[in-house]
Amino acid sequence: MTRLLDLGLDRIHNIIMDMAKLSESSVLTALGSYEEGTRIKSQIFDWSEKLRTLQEEVADLAIELIARFQPVATDLRFIRSCMEISYGFSRFGRYAYDIVDVLETMGSISDCDKSTVLEMAGTVREMIQLSLHALRSRDKDAAEKLYQMDDTVDALYRKYLREIITPQSQQDKRFSDPRCYVSALLILRYLERISDHACYIGDSVHYIRTGTSSPRR
Amino acid sequence: MQQKESRQEDNRQKIQDIMSRQSSKKKLIDRIMSAFAIICVISALIPLGSILFEVVKNGISAISIEFLTQPPGSFFLGHGGIAPAIQGTLIVVGLASLIGAPVGILSGIYLSEYAGNGVFPSAVRFFNDVLTGLPSIVMGIVGYVSIVLLLGSFSVWAGAFALSIIMIPIVVRVTEESFKIVPNSIREAAHSLGIPKWKITLFITMKSAKSGILTGIVLAVSRIAGETAPLIMTILGTSLFFTGFSGPIDALPLRIWRLASQPYESAHSQGWGAALVLILIVLILSVVLRLFVQSKTGYKLNRATF
Amino acid sequence: MGSKESFSINNSRVVEPLQDNADGKSSATVKQYKVSIRNLDAWYGSKQALKNINLDVKANTATAFIGPSGCGKTTLIRCLNRMHEMTPGAGARGQVILDGINIYDNKTVDPVIIKRRIGMVFQKPNPFPTMSIYDNVAAGLKLNGVKNKRLINDIVKESLEDAVLWDEVKNELDKPGMGLSGGQQQRLCIARALAMQPEILLMDEPTSALDPTASSKIEELVYNLKKNLTIIIVTHNMQQAARVSDYAAFMYLGELIEYGPTNQIFKNPQKELTERYISGKFG
Repeated sequence: MTRLLDLGLDRIHNIIMDMAKLSESSVLTALGSYEEGTRIKSQIFDWSEKLRTLQEEVADLAIELIARFQPVATDLRFIRSCMEISYGFSRFGRYAYDIVDVLETMGSISDCDKSTVLEMAGTVREMIQLSLHALRSRDKDAAEKLYQMDDTVDALYRKYLREIITPQSQQDKRFSDPRCYVSALLILRYLERISDHACYIGDSVHYIRTGTSSPRR
Repeated sequence: MQQKESRQEDNRQKIQDIMSRQSSKKKLIDRIMSAFAIICVISALIPLGSILFEVVKNGISAISIEFLTQPPGSFFLGHGGIAPAIQGTLIVVGLASLIGAPVGILSGIYLSEYAGNGVFPSAVRFFNDVLTGLPSIVMGIVGYVSIVLLLGSFSVWAGAFALSIIMIPIVVRVTEESFKIVPNSIREAAHSLGIPKWKITLFITMKSAKSGILTGIVLAVSRIAGETAPLIMTILGTSLFFTGFSGPIDALPLRIWRLASQPYESAHSQGWGAALVLILIVLILSVVLRLFVQSKTGYKLNRATF
Repeated sequence: MGSKESFSINNSRVVEPLQDNADGKSSATVKQYKVSIRNLDAWYGSKQALKNINLDVKANTATAFIGPSGCGKTTLIRCLNRMHEMTPGAGARGQVILDGINIYDNKTVDPVIIKRRIGMVFQKPNPFPTMSIYDNVAAGLKLNGVKNKRLINDIVKESLEDAVLWDEVKNELDKPGMGLSGGQQQRLCIARALAMQPEILLMDEPTSALDPTASSKIEELVYNLKKNLTIIIVTHNMQQAARVSDYAAFMYLGELIEYGPTNQIFKNPQKELTERYISGKFG
C-alpha cells in the first residue's frame, strides 16, 4: 500500500543517490588531478555547488515530510539519517574542491614525492566506495569496517605530521620544497576529513537499520 | 480512455436531464401531498372540535354554584347539582392512582432495569400489552367479583380497584418506555462512579425518565376519570356524599349516564353540564401536572426530552 | 543504549505472580507498579476478545493503548475497573492487581466499591442530563453518602480546577450540564470522575468526538493530572498517543504485541507488526 509519505521518501532517496554519485566523482576526479596534474578546478567547483544545493533540498524535503506526515519508526530514522548523509556528501564535494584549490594555489608539484598522499588516497577511495555500498544495501555492519579503515588513515596523517616537525626533517628530501609538503599536508588533512565523513555515513546507515548509534571503539 | 470519459460525460448529461424533468413533476406531487395531509388533519380535528363545541354550548347553561355544590334533587325539576359526583370522581380516581401509579412504576422499572429478555419478562410484557386492550367492563366484573362480593357491598374500594387495574398496564408500559429511552451512557457513567444500581435507577435514570412517566400517568388518569362501565358494577352510584370507603359513592361518568337516561329535558341539561365539568377537571389536571413537572425539572413535558 | 526496554513476556523484569502468601521481596518489586495485569482473558459470549494479557503500569504515568479497531484495547480498559462484565454475556478471567489487591477476587473485593478508586471517562461526553454543573460533579460524592456541604463544595471546586473548567463555569454552576459545548462537557465528565478522588483514571478515546482545540486542552490536562494519578488512555489517534503518553501498549487481535516507553515504540519498535501499524502500513 503506497502511502503519501512514500512518494516523499522515494524522492529523498533519489536525491541522496544522485548526491552519492556526484560526490564520489568529485573526490575521485580531484585525486586524479593531483596524480596527473590536470587542471579541473571549475568543474569541481560546479559539482560542489550542485551538492550544496541538493543538500539544502534534502533538508527542506525532510522537514516538509515531518511536518505533514508525522512519520515514525524506520521512516523517521531514515529521514533524519538522510539529512546527515546529504550533509556528508556535500562535505565530500567541498573537500574535493579544497584539494583542487590547493593544487591551483601551489602551482606545479609534479616533482614532489606523492607517495603518502597516494597511499591515503587509495584507502579513502575504498572507504567512499564502501560507504556508498552500505547506503545502497543498508548494510549495518559497514560502519565497523569503516572505522577500522579510518584508524589507518588517522595513523598515516599523524605519522606524516610528526615527521614534518621533527628536527631531522630538514634532511629529508620530501620536506625540501615547502610547496610539496604544505600541499601534501593540506591534502592529507582533507582526505582525513573525508574518511571521517565516510564513517558517519556508515553510522547513519546503522542507525536507520537498528535505531541505535553504532558502537565506536 | 477517451471513450470512457466521453461515456461518463454522456451519462452525466442523461442523469441531469432526468432529474430536472423529475423535479417539476416532484413539485406538483409535493403540493398534492401537503394538501392531502392538511385535509387529514382538519378532518381529524373536526369531530374533536365539534364535540367540545357541543358540550360547551349545551352544558354552560347548567353551570352554577348550586350545580357544583349541591347533591342531586328532583330530576323533573332540574334542581340540585352534581357535587357528590364531583367528589366521588376525585376520591375514586385519586385512590385508584395511589394504588395504580406506584405498582405500575415499580413494575416498569423492573422490566426495564432488572429483567432481561428471558421467558418470564417477555411473558410479563406480553400480558401487560394484552391488559391494556381489555374492555373496561371486564375490569368492572373483576372488581365486582373480588371486592364487592368479598366486602359485601358496593364500595369505593371496589371502584378504585377496578380503575387501578385499568391504569396499571398503561403506567407499566409508559414507565418501561421512558426508562428505555434514557441512553445507556448515563447508566455507565453512574456505574463508573461506583454508585450502587438501585441508587442509579432511583436517583439518576429516574430523573431523566420522570417527564415521560408523568405524561403517561396524566394520560392514564385522564382515561380512568372517564371510564363508566367498571364503575357501574363497583361503586353503584348514589346521591349522597362520601360515607366511607366501604360504602357506595357517585362519580361523574355514572352521573352523566344516569342523567342522560332520564326522559326529562332538565336532566339532559344537567348531563351536559356534568360532561363539561368532567372535561374541565381532566383539562385542569393535565395543565397542573405539566406546570408542576416543568417547574421541577426545568424541562418541558415532552416525551423526547433527554 | 542498545538494550531493549520492552516489557515482553520473556523479559525478566516482568513481575512474578502474586501468591496469597507473598514474601516481602516480590511485593516490594510490585509496589513500583500501580496496576499489574496477569494472564487476563476476556470474552463476549463465546468470542474471546483478550488473550493472556500481561502488563505492568507504573504509578504517575500516562499509558496509551493503541491498535486497530477490534484489537481489544477498549475491552482491556473496561476490565481494569470491572465494567466489562456489565455487558450481557461478557466475562473475564485473570488478575488485575491494584496496589497489591486483585480486583477480580470476589471474596474480598466488591465490584461496586472498587470502581470508586478507578475513574472513567468515555468516548462521548455523558454528563447527567437533568443535573446542573455543580450537581454533576457532586453526583458521585452525594450518592455515595457524603453529606458535608462544605466538603462537597471544596471538592467540586478542586475537581473543576483540575479539569481546567473552573474559570469557564464558576459563575454558572447551577446551569444545566448539557448546556456546555462538547469539549466543556467532556471536561465536566473528567471533573465528575476526579471528584471521587480516584487513584487511576481510565480514558476511553476521550477526544474522539471533539474538535482539535478541545482535544488539545484535554491532552494538556492529562499531562498535569499525572502528578497525582495514573492515567490509562485508549486512542486510535497515534499522534495523540505519541504526544500524551509515557508508555505505549500496542495490541492486535486481542493480544499484547509490544509494550514499552513511548519514545522507543515510536522511534524504534521491536516488533515488525508494531512498526507496520504505527507507520500506517495497515488498517
